Amino acid sequence: MTPPPAEPVAALIRPPPVARDSQVNRDLLRVMDGVSVGYFGVLALALGFMFAAGGVWIYQVYKGLGIAGYAHPIFWGSYIVTFVFWVGIAHAGTLISAILYLFRAKWRNAINRSAEAMTVFAVLTAAQFLGIHVGRIWKSYFILPYPNQRALWVNFKSPLLWDTFAITTYATISIVFFYVGLIPDLAIARDRSTGWRRALYTVLSLGWEGTSRQWKSHNRTVLHLSGLATPLVLSVHSVVSWDFAMSIVPTWHATIFAPYFVAGAIFSGFAMVLTMMIPVRRIYGLEHIITDYHFENMSRFLLLTSLIVGYAYCAEYFIAWYSGVEAEQTSFWSRAFGPYWISTWVMISCNAIFPQILWFKKARTHVPTLFVLSVLINIGMWFERYVIIIGGLSREYDPAVWGTYTPQWTELIIVAGSFGFFCQFFLMFLKVFPVVAIAEVKEIEIHARAHGEGH
Amino acid sequence: MPQLLGVFTEPAHVAAAVHRLRGRGFTDLETFSPAPFAEIDDAMLPKPSGVRGWTLVGGLTGVVTGYALTLWMANNWQIMLGGKPFSSIPPYTIIAFELTILFGGLMTFFGLLVVGRLPSFRSHKGYSARFSAEDFGLVVRCRERDVAEIDGLLREHHATEVSLVEA
Repeated sequence: MTPPPAEPVAALIRPPPVARDSQVNRDLLRVMDGVSVGYFGVLALALGFMFAAGGVWIYQVYKGLGIAGYAHPIFWGSYIVTFVFWVGIAHAGTLISAILYLFRAKWRNAINRSAEAMTVFAVLTAAQFLGIHVGRIWKSYFILPYPNQRALWVNFKSPLLWDTFAITTYATISIVFFYVGLIPDLAIARDRSTGWRRALYTVLSLGWEGTSRQWKSHNRTVLHLSGLATPLVLSVHSVVSWDFAMSIVPTWHATIFAPYFVAGAIFSGFAMVLTMMIPVRRIYGLEHIITDYHFENMSRFLLLTSLIVGYAYCAEYFIAWYSGVEAEQTSFWSRAFGPYWISTWVMISCNAIFPQILWFKKARTHVPTLFVLSVLINIGMWFERYVIIIGGLSREYDPAVWGTYTPQWTELIIVAGSFGFFCQFFLMFLKVFPVVAIAEVKEIEIHARAHGEGH
Repeated sequence: MPQLLGVFTEPAHVAAAVHRLRGRGFTDLETFSPAPFAEIDDAMLPKPSGVRGWTLVGGLTGVVTGYALTLWMANNWQIMLGGKPFSSIPPYTIIAFELTILFGGLMTFFGLLVVGRLPSFRSHKGYSARFSAEDFGLVVRCRERDVAEIDGLLREHHATEVSLVEA
């Protein structure tokens, strides 16, 4: 074969191709554009709560934990309740990203990014409460196994230390998972932005160009991280539940605690995803990406986990009665009819009774109903932890050590501030990172298009 | 050497073109894809990704570290707790489990960086923003005399545009 003359080669050269942007890119990157007065208002509110809580926390560090409602025999109060609550919220993201990925549930694509982001922010929020709860924050590093002059090591037989390892691992893996999923979308954003955004996305996208080598290793990484995160997400709340179940406090010392807590965590996590995503979808007009079908699937998860949680509530009472252990029976009686009866009935109504409405398709597809229900579930799940922790500690074996606990203003402000802390992260996330996994949505669209054309 | 860029709209066409070019002996190929498509990636790199080895090494390091850390620390300064043995395997299994996941996950991430050659500091000349929209790109580096043949091959496989990438 003789080399072709120079003309055909030159003739091949065309003007640089005009970038033809896709609708998905435009729709999803638009979320990051501009900020409205309303956005600033909500952000200011969230930051206001956060800084108020910060101020109160500094005051608490100065005065000591005595200004919280802690009093004998209750030394685990609203801070631990809120810690468990936020760890629970953190479960939906990894469940959606890892477990549903392994099950090839394609509907996860529209919500996995925001759910993963919520996971990261919820774990960060939860971690604050460990520091807040220990009071002497400057000694909190004692929990880590570090070499020290006293040659003392931490107690690895304590569930509190298991929890340290579980939460640290969960936070790290969630951040890695979140970031790995973001890389291709950051490249999309990089190609379409200017100024500081372009600089930021250029650095964070690591020079991603979607080559086959990059995609192949990316796919494998996501698969392996899912495989690792699946047992992790089930283990984290199990370990949190053992903080309680490993003790001998009546109502805590139960083998059902791990599955009960994990189901509750997924329940509250999905509720929080709905609470946050329903307004986001409405405000940014993402109805064609996050459809009612996605919300319906999430509400099915809510129904399933609500049934598991409701079953656990019944099983606890049954075992208390069937075991014949008087302390257990007394404590459970007090839970329903004692000083914390309001919390208990809020918990049962919001978590086990109201969600039964989801048996009806009309409720599952009616977005305002889902929104109200998701908020109620969040409230109910906070009270569940309140009932378990405070209720358990207030009625131990000997009536001489019974006591009551009332949250103080410091605790209420700090708990409220945690919602501000979480929300300001989420609001900033909306403006800095693509809120939906663009590449994954595109994958489905391109597949659908190819099949539509008969390939 | 000149580089030809073919632009496609369907992943299957890219995969077919890659197979065909490979069969003709053109192996210096690069693809750009807006989303992961197994057919393209497998055509380009038939072997499973090396990331899996990184996960394995990380996980094994984690489980060994978990048991070694707990057993050594418990025995380095022995404190009797609840009459339990110093070397209590069941509680230490939880630490070993967590470190397996932690090290396995971190090493998987480092595996992505090494195997995927990230971060990549030099942008490919053929890359443009259209490949993070909906188009697929296939770049072939070839000798001057093969340009016409490859141009024909790419078009035969439904390339919507073929252009020369500036060196």
